[in-house]
Amino acid sequence: MITIVSGLPRSGTSLMMQMLQAGGMPLLVDDSRPPDQDNPRGYFEYGPVKSLETDNAWLPRAEGKALKVVSQLLYHLPRRFHYKILFMRRDLDEVLRSQEEMLQRRKTGEGPPRDLMKAHFQHHLTTLDGWLSTQPHLAVRDCHFRELVQTPEVAILSALEFLGLDLDPKAMSAVVDRSLYRQRAR
Amino acid sequence: MLGFKPKVTIDPALYAGVKQVAQAAGYATVDEFVTHLLEKAVADVQRAESEAEVRKRLQGLGYIE
Repeated sequence: MITIVSGLPRSGTSLMMQMLQAGGMPLLVDDSRPPDQDNPRGYFEYGPVKSLETDNAWLPRAEGKALKVVSQLLYHLPRRFHYKILFMRRDLDEVLRSQEEMLQRRKTGEGPPRDLMKAHFQHHLTTLDGWLSTQPHLAVRDCHFRELVQTPEVAILSALEFLGLDLDPKAMSAVVDRSLYRQRAR
Repeated sequence: MLGFKPKVTIDPALYAGVKQVAQAAGYATVDEFVTHLLEKAVADVQRAESEAEVRKRLQGLGYIE
């Protein structure tokens, strides 16, 4: 079984990875993306994931571990493995504000106006949700970022029940730093 | 748009084929069948556009290559 932490960029996937690690879960990560202003505690990514569409030969290394996979790449998880996916959900306006700040810092262009980008993400999530619900090799549990930050004990219990893992919920909960919740919906 | 009833002209031979398929598929009218097809076609295009924009955004943020 491979544990996947997924969602849109800036939806709390790094936080969930950090929590799993604190709880005692082994992660498949490398140092391809060091901490920065956008993720001061790190990205918890594994570089080869970016090329999942064209190369998944490395995926056996993720067996028994947690791996971060951005939403659009879930389509490319090979069916020869089974996955449990914690899918992070966050208010789309918060996600977009955070992404825009990150894009400005990366100087990679802003893209479409926020409302249009929001519609694109809504389409993307609707299509993905429909697809996920029909995939026998994927089990999915939604995890809401706001709940994770505001009442982590509740969100953690739900996640652990889904994963069927004996991790340390107190250590996971201690990871939450509410001061990093910077894009709260106004 | 209220009350606006647009009409689209198509080739009579094509209309006959559409009517035949609509009846075979159990649609009550050709209008219903054509509306369904167009809704699906528009949704498919919008979905493809959205996935392309999402992909660009993820590339810009460094999450995919």
